[in-house]
Amino acid sequence: MIVKEILIVFFALCAAGSVISLLTKKAHLVISIFGSLASVSLVATGILGLGLGKPLNWSQWSFPIFGQMHFHIDGITSILLLLTGVVALPVSIFSNGYLQRYLGKYSLRSFGVMYHLLLASIAAVFVTWDVMSFLVSWEAMSVLSYLCVNFEHRHEENTHAGLLMLVMGEVGTLAIAISMFILGSAGGGLDFESLRLGAQELGPGASWAVFLLSFFGFGVKAGIVPVNTWLPRAHPAAPANISALLSGVILNLGLYGIIRMNLDLAPVVSVNQGLVVVITGSITALVGILYATIDNDMKRMLAHSSIENIGIITAVFGAGLVFSASSDPTLAGLAFIAAFYHLINHSIYKALLFLGAGSVDARSGTRDMNRLGGLIKIMPWTSLMFLIGAMSIAALPPLNGFVSEWLALQTFLQSATLSSTSSTLVRVTFVLCGAALALTAALAVTCFVKAFAMSFLGKARSAQARSAKPAGGTTRLSMGILALTCIALGLLPTYVIPKLDESVNVPRQRHAVESLVPAFFRPQDANPIMDKAFVDEFHDLGAQVGKGLLPGRGLVVLHRGQARNPVVFAMSTSYTVIVLGLLLAMVFLLVHLFTRKRTQKTRAVWAGGLENLPPELTYTATGFSNPVRVVFNTVFRPQKTETRHQNVARHFRSAVSKQWEVVHLADRWVTGPIVHVLDKLAHLAASMHSGRINAYAAYMLMALVLVLLAGHLFT
Amino acid sequence: MSRWLTEGLLTHKPTTAYPARPESTAGISPGLPVPSSELTGQALEQLVSMCRVGALSKEKNTLGFDDGRCIHCMRCKGKSPKELEWDDSYEWARLTKLGEKNLAKLSASFKASLYIRTIDAGACAACLTEISLLAGPNYNMHRLGFFMTPTPRKADVLLVSGPVTDHMRDHLLEAYDSMPEPKRVIAVGACAMTGGVFGPSFTCAAGLSDMIPVDVVVPGCPPPPLALLHALLVLTGRKQQAEKIRALGSDRS
Ligand code: SF4
Ligand code: SF4
Repeated sequence: MIVKEILIVFFALCAAGSVISLLTKKAHLVISIFGSLASVSLVATGILGLGLGKPLNWSQWSFPIFGQMHFHIDGITSILLLLTGVVALPVSIFSNGYLQRYLGKYSLRSFGVMYHLLLASIAAVFVTWDVMSFLVSWEAMSVLSYLCVNFEHRHEENTHAGLLMLVMGEVGTLAIAISMFILGSAGGGLDFESLRLGAQELGPGASWAVFLLSFFGFGVKAGIVPVNTWLPRAHPAAPANISALLSGVILNLGLYGIIRMNLDLAPVVSVNQGLVVVITGSITALVGILYATIDNDMKRMLAHSSIENIGIITAVFGAGLVFSASSDPTLAGLAFIAAFYHLINHSIYKALLFLGAGSVDARSGTRDMNRLGGLIKIMPWTSLMFLIGAMSIAALPPLNGFVSEWLALQTFLQSATLSSTSSTLVRVTFVLCGAALALTAALAVTCFVKAFAMSFLGKARSAQARSAKPAGGTTRLSMGILALTCIALGLLPTYVIPKLDESVNVPRQRHAVESLVPAFFRPQDANPIMDKAFVDEFHDLGAQVGKGLLPGRGLVVLHRGQARNPVVFAMSTSYTVIVLGLLLAMVFLLVHLFTRKRTQKTRAVWAGGLENLPPELTYTATGFSNPVRVVFNTVFRPQKTETRHQNVARHFRSAVSKQWEVVHLADRWVTGPIVHVLDKLAHLAASMHSGRINAYAAYMLMALVLVLLAGHLFT
Repeated sequence: MSRWLTEGLLTHKPTTAYPARPESTAGISPGLPVPSSELTGQALEQLVSMCRVGALSKEKNTLGFDDGRCIHCMRCKGKSPKELEWDDSYEWARLTKLGEKNLAKLSASFKASLYIRTIDAGACAACLTEISLLAGPNYNMHRLGFFMTPTPRKADVLLVSGPVTDHMRDHLLEAYDSMPEPKRVIAVGACAMTGGVFGPSFTCAAGLSDMIPVDVVVPGCPPPPLALLHALLVLTGRKQQAEKIRALGSDRS
């Protein structure tokens, strides 16, 4: 029961943090102390929660209208609490150095209060177990994150972005509330257990309604296309630490909602619902990465890339739903593991990248990749950490992004060979969505090669980039924690996967892990449920060699235990490190060997005949991503405008400036039309307000007559 | 996209058959005069005075011809007391003495794959236009293993046109200096060979030869693309160089 106490300690720390920030001028210090302590207690809650074995339920406090409050901690909650802690800890540390730029400009006191309350509300969303307290915490989280995003409220575009975030979030909340109330009224209660009962009572129509409302309602927070447009606007507006929390934690809340509703409380039973999730996820991933690749604002690029990652997670999660609906528990388990692994990875590396972008922004004063460059010489540590984050997110082995994306793609690829029950529709969808995800992965590499190369390599393309300063100690420490987590999650998948399997997969799917991480490397260690022939054959495959080299298990294998040729796929990041290391060493050796006899001469960089290479002439971010822009022109449909300045006389152009504006797909097709219709309606309503006294008197008279008439009729 | 596809299919392959077979399309080359040794006396003087760029000269009572100066203006064609013969071919490139020595040393790996950096050392742009045609479908030098590169750091050959203006001198030297060994230089056109119609003057030098070592010279003003292809082939030893008889004047090396 110690979990409960630690959770209470967490809430107490948050409360103390907000009160103390209110009292002191150094709120940044308070955040870094109390925020970190609170995060540590969250980590402890998560770890202890994972060890619980079975879900922990308790009820506390009763309120007149809301009724009894219920709390619940299970595997999913524990993992997400742990993840929240792991992200919030470095973010809190980072805040100390970062927030000082606001000293004297904005009220750090209020920021401190909001920050601690935000942490508390996030944890509350995870642990509450009845509709009322869930919605209250959800609303608190929405409003507080809006306030935090809107912290630099004196910039008009920030307030716009914040408002959009708030409005879209509220619409989402409404949808969530309706879906929960439908379930609750069918189940006869508002705690989640009654919702679970209610889900079994629902007819197909109501079940679809609940599914769509909850999926897209939570999808707003998660950033699923087409309800994602607040995300790329909110991120550039928010302070970097809030951006990191937004991408690393708050998007997870949306995913948590989807997972809780559609996997646990009202499990998806129809394959088609699963397919909706798969298709939406794949589209989200592709759209996200396309916009990320062409964006030159570091933070907006990262926001688009968050959308991409959420898309991947959603698609794989949807695949899991399809498999479990078509009773294929092993594959479903595999998909859920992949989805959760990716969720965790995304939180970690995205937080890392946002902290990196934030520290670049803080130290150089610009986030425009066209104007950065050459920072690796000035901020070597930040560059290294950013590189680790970029490599992780680009899914390069041996980092963590590779593991989860590899699992995700394998889930899609192998579905045809593994699953016997799937229909043609499912197969075709999986092939197409798998292809979309593969394209996404490829574009992600382009996107992050650009992000790293254009910001950190080459020459500084502006005075701001030239005069940047190295990042401070707290920044380095916080980024270091996250970077190490990235590496650890990449190198030790075989230790993470069983934990995930235990906590994510409900008992009926338990054996996914047994077929994913075999517990044998010597025949005598063999898992007893494995076929002897399989163990021997696998033995021959060379797993034995790995055992000799590595301290622990390193191989992720999916196999069909009894079959003749059992291994479906196998991967090992830890072996990859060794092989990559050896290959790299060999390359150096070979190059040295072959070029030993060559003479070398050193000459200045060829600048095309100019005295020295002006940085403006080097490759820019726009130039690098232009091929993508050209190839996907049909998707982007940019608005191009050209202005010619004719100062001397007509036809004598002194300057030409070209504008290139991209309106997001979702804005063009979904949000835009809705706003347009609402605008029309508002105008219609506004035409009532002529401003003439007589008209208003007439309205009043009419209203009076109507009331009297109504009274007459109904009595 | 569909248009260039269909058009391409309909028009077949426009690429020239050279160097496998000679190209004989009319007007493919402006041609050069073939000096005859029969002219003497008055007729010789008259002909020499007709050439305003000094490509024709009187040398010991016979006609001297310097193809490094000729701009194929055709004044000497037809109008002369005794018509000069006209050579419509385009295989004009010649190796210099250094070029001959270098050719023997060229290793096989360079023969079929060569990277070229072009430098405009004050050319009138006609030479450059002809060079740029090499990459087009009609001449398509890539099929022969010749490629352009934007940086001298990766270039095997420096293709220089223009008389080398004072402004370009340092950059030309810098580019040549930046090239890795082994490196070769081709002087393209009359300007790069002798200064042509421009040099030497108060703003420019008289071609490349006193600045950087030249391996192959291509006469012409401008030399047609096929002559340039010939130069590249000569440089790599894949074609015979032009006979030296034409250049009765001093051998430029
Ligand atoms: S064609 Fe050549 S040789 Fe004849 S006159 Fe013109 S420049 Fe002189
Ligand atoms: S050789 Fe003739 S064509 Fe070439 S640059 Fe000189 S003047 Fe122009």
